[in-house]
Amino acid sequence: MLGFLIRRVLQAAFVVLVVTLLVAWAVRLSGDPAVMLTQGAGSVTAKDLANIRTGLGLDRPFSAQYLGFLGGMLTGDMGRSFIGGTSVGLLIRHALPLTILLAVVSLALSIAASIPLGIHAAVKRGGTADQVIRILSLVGLSFPNFWLGLMLVLIFGINLGWLPPSGAGEVSGIVMPAATLAIILTATNVRLVRSTMLDTLSQQYIMVARSKGLKQRVVLYRHALRNCAIPLVTYIGLQFGGLIGGVVVVERVFNWPGMGSLAFDAVSSRDYPVLQAVVTVLAALIVTVNLAVDVAYGLLDPRIRSE
Amino acid sequence: MRRFKKLEFIAGILLTGTMVLLVMFSGLLFPDGGEAMDLSARLARPGVDWAHILGTDPIGRDVLARVIVGGRISLLVGVFSVTGAMVVGTIMGLVAGYYGKFWDTILMRWADVQLALPFILVAMTFTAILGADLWNLIVFMAISQWVQYARVVRGSVLTLRDREFVQSARSFGVRDWNILLHHLLPNVFGPVLILVTLNVANNILLESSLTFLGLGIDPIIPSWGGMLADGRSYMQTAWWISVFPGLAIMATVLGLNLLGDWLRDFLDPTAKV
Amino acid sequence: MKFRNRLLAACAATAFIWPMAARAAGTLTLAQVQDPASYDPIDTFLLAWGQIGTSIFDGLVQRGADMQLKPALATSWEMLDNNMRIRFKLRDGVTFQNGEKFDADAVKFTFDRLLGPDGAKGPQQSNYTAISAVNVIDPLMVDIVLKRPDPVMLTKLAGYGAVIVPPKYLSRVGHAEFAIHPIGTGSFKVVDYQPKVSITLDAYPAYWGGAPKLDHVIFRFIAEPDTEVAELQAGRIDIAINVPISLTGTIAKDPKLFVASVPGPTVTVLRFNTANGVTKDERVRKAMIMGVDRTAIIKSILQGNGTEVASFQGSLSFGYDPAQKPLPFDPAKARALLKEAGIAAGTPVQIDFRGNDATFREVAQATAGYLSAIGLKAGVKPYEQNLFTNDIIPNGKTAEMFQFGWGGWTFDYDNTAYLMYHSGEHWNPYDKDPALDKMLEDQRSITDRDTREKALQAIAHYVADHTLELPLYNINTIYGVNKRVKNLTPPADNRFLLNDVTVE
Repeated sequence: MLGFLIRRVLQAAFVVLVVTLLVAWAVRLSGDPAVMLTQGAGSVTAKDLANIRTGLGLDRPFSAQYLGFLGGMLTGDMGRSFIGGTSVGLLIRHALPLTILLAVVSLALSIAASIPLGIHAAVKRGGTADQVIRILSLVGLSFPNFWLGLMLVLIFGINLGWLPPSGAGEVSGIVMPAATLAIILTATNVRLVRSTMLDTLSQQYIMVARSKGLKQRVVLYRHALRNCAIPLVTYIGLQFGGLIGGVVVVERVFNWPGMGSLAFDAVSSRDYPVLQAVVTVLAALIVTVNLAVDVAYGLLDPRIRSE
Repeated sequence: MRRFKKLEFIAGILLTGTMVLLVMFSGLLFPDGGEAMDLSARLARPGVDWAHILGTDPIGRDVLARVIVGGRISLLVGVFSVTGAMVVGTIMGLVAGYYGKFWDTILMRWADVQLALPFILVAMTFTAILGADLWNLIVFMAISQWVQYARVVRGSVLTLRDREFVQSARSFGVRDWNILLHHLLPNVFGPVLILVTLNVANNILLESSLTFLGLGIDPIIPSWGGMLADGRSYMQTAWWISVFPGLAIMATVLGLNLLGDWLRDFLDPTAKV
Repeated sequence: MKFRNRLLAACAATAFIWPMAARAAGTLTLAQVQDPASYDPIDTFLLAWGQIGTSIFDGLVQRGADMQLKPALATSWEMLDNNMRIRFKLRDGVTFQNGEKFDADAVKFTFDRLLGPDGAKGPQQSNYTAISAVNVIDPLMVDIVLKRPDPVMLTKLAGYGAVIVPPKYLSRVGHAEFAIHPIGTGSFKVVDYQPKVSITLDAYPAYWGGAPKLDHVIFRFIAEPDTEVAELQAGRIDIAINVPISLTGTIAKDPKLFVASVPGPTVTVLRFNTANGVTKDERVRKAMIMGVDRTAIIKSILQGNGTEVASFQGSLSFGYDPAQKPLPFDPAKARALLKEAGIAAGTPVQIDFRGNDATFREVAQATAGYLSAIGLKAGVKPYEQNLFTNDIIPNGKTAEMFQFGWGGWTFDYDNTAYLMYHSGEHWNPYDKDPALDKMLEDQRSITDRDTREKALQAIAHYVADHTLELPLYNINTIYGVNKRVKNLTPPADNRFLLNDVTVE
């Protein structure tokens, strides 16, 4: 088990390293920040632009810039934003907890809703409850997240006035963005729980357990759920990356000042230091979650750990 | 129970079939491609004028025509991107899961790198480098999503690989590709099919989200996602611009998923309770 | 469990950033799209800075809501040495918000910094290169000496890079700290700054122009206009800055709110690719201009929130000629011109534009519709903003037409014309015309106001005669405002003067 862990941690570190190289390379193909900074300026000469580039350290060769960034990430000094010179570390310290909070709350909401609903649908397969749950999950899948978010704002933020339309200023501000993400996650999770549960329920040992007269609840939540945990956990691990992607859009709709908003602004303004740092931190986060999933895998199914 | 399944199947066929037929013949129904504009008739309410039964958008274009023609782009994006992702991902997942070791490591690390990069940010960066374009979008989506299929397929293969029927096939000297094709592929079909039906819908919506972020394609050519994104600011003043394309998406998604479910039952005899 | 507690703590910690401040008496909350991130005046050209910076800082002169220059930190000034030296008499008894005294040394410090190595790292320096030195005559008198005459220098002294900064404070805290905790002589003082969230200002009671009537001003940063308007409707902000046209209807029908629409600095045109393709032919360009009903676009899509233009400037701009009229809308003539130029029906043309500009997105589609009606096959292509402005336009990679919105806060046609039409300029990828170059260069050394105005008008006519662009409109600046805000003069240049504003 320990060897398995060490190997996986090394692999994860390697993945993050590849990501840093990719992002540092790609962002430098995407345009010149000096031009962006001087937008709206009177007459900008080539010399002015060169001055600004030197000021930003962009006159150095790529390898020097990349190693500087990598060294900075390792020592915890992430450099300064091109826009206004704010410390990148400070920006991330503000944004990261908010994004993690949003992701965790929406994931938790979704799991809490989809396990009982999915199991119920599987057990009552073909019945009214199953149909209703399935149709509702389909409806949840039929809207883009920004549109769903704007609808919630319209109903609960403006018409009813129950919740703040945007921002992380009040505790209640998390309700709508988390719900927007959770509704979409739940729609997929319910279906996944239902279908894996159906597979499991049709397997012999469950039938045996049932025929032995074990209580329905025990069969479902102890034996069957454990078996369908593998695909569910895989999928939640997979979803985490997608969730972070969805967070970019939802954070923008709800003006949630998290990593997604930060990244979005950084891409738009070619703020290399911020974008590099944000993507690296997000990648590390996603990789860690996937690592945790793999370890959970090993715990749930010893056959996988052994190889 | 049986009757209900049949009903679902019929509903799925009807919904998906109607949408596909409408989209296929949209050129005959609306020769202008939903692009004809009339600024004097902008934001007309639905049901007032027979010429614009579902109303008009801010440029004075017919919403009905655009909803029907709009399916072309949306279905194109959905179907092509998912097909690409599914084919690549399934092959990768089968190989990685069955052979393990070296291939597994290479493919899964590669997959990890991709999973660690949020799609929207990658799309934004590459749109910044290459420009927004229909085929760029499709390729972005396929590239970013094959990983999902690969992981799911691999996961299933890992649990199946050591099961009796695979072991016995192997002991009888059945070739690897034969095992992959005839014993493993049918068994991973269920989860893959679910992913497919979900992702076709998802990618239709993704096109919309990219338009929302200002990265969409030519807004003259109607697409459901684009209409939804462009109509959002009119939600309180002209709901019809975004509600009708929204309903079109819902009908399509619903139809696809009903068919997907039915197909799953059809292909998986053990699931018949 | 520990993790959850920490998350809850993070949540609670952010809960007190703006505790429903909009409703509070004496507090005005505004929302704008962007956080300028640095409040140091040498760092930025962003409108987003000007919106806030105007309340924190003052220049030697100030521009009122009527766009006229008036005394600010200087009480009077005179032009000397044939306009090569400007002598300013400074206001006595002014203090910075930290109590530091304002005097001639502060003026000298400000300009030395702007024009020195610190300034070179930022974009503002390029705007003030006409200044050769600032000489202190006595504590309340300075001379600004110019290398060459700059007809818009006085206007430029009213804002952005030329606002006066406190020498002692800045020298002590350094640039990075000043950028997030700025101090100026303005009517409001920064008390709290949350990057990308909000900046809170308190009234500075010792302001030289009299204490402001508001107690607090909060600027919130909201990227998405739909969200901004939702906050406005929910009563959590009082002023939404720069609302897209598509949302004006929503604001107008809300009884608590009103739409304030004022002529703004930004003029939008569709520039032609005059170097390649069908638009190389002047007749084709003329046909494309005459084929588009600009009046109808302003009336319907802009909902009247704009005025038609004949050149790349609005009526507030110096160099504007009220007698100049745009080419009329005449589709029949347009078709004839296309025929004459030998352009086949269905020839494709494309309009490139900035994808995140919601209003222009509609305008581009309507324009394409008109072009299709005269027999062209018109498409539109949205670009990511940065790619568009950094690569596609300057490197001449556009299609036949491309969106260009421009309007310096200085309201001088030179600021537009020189950059758009002079050969080799960054924003001019296609045109090379020695005659036009000469006109543009010559007007820069004219110091007589009337002669220079005539020269600028002549340039505008020359450009129109050669159909270098399809002039569209001067779009209004649109604000969504809560009715509880009183005494607000919505500024044309986005630079809010909040001294007299009150809230109910």
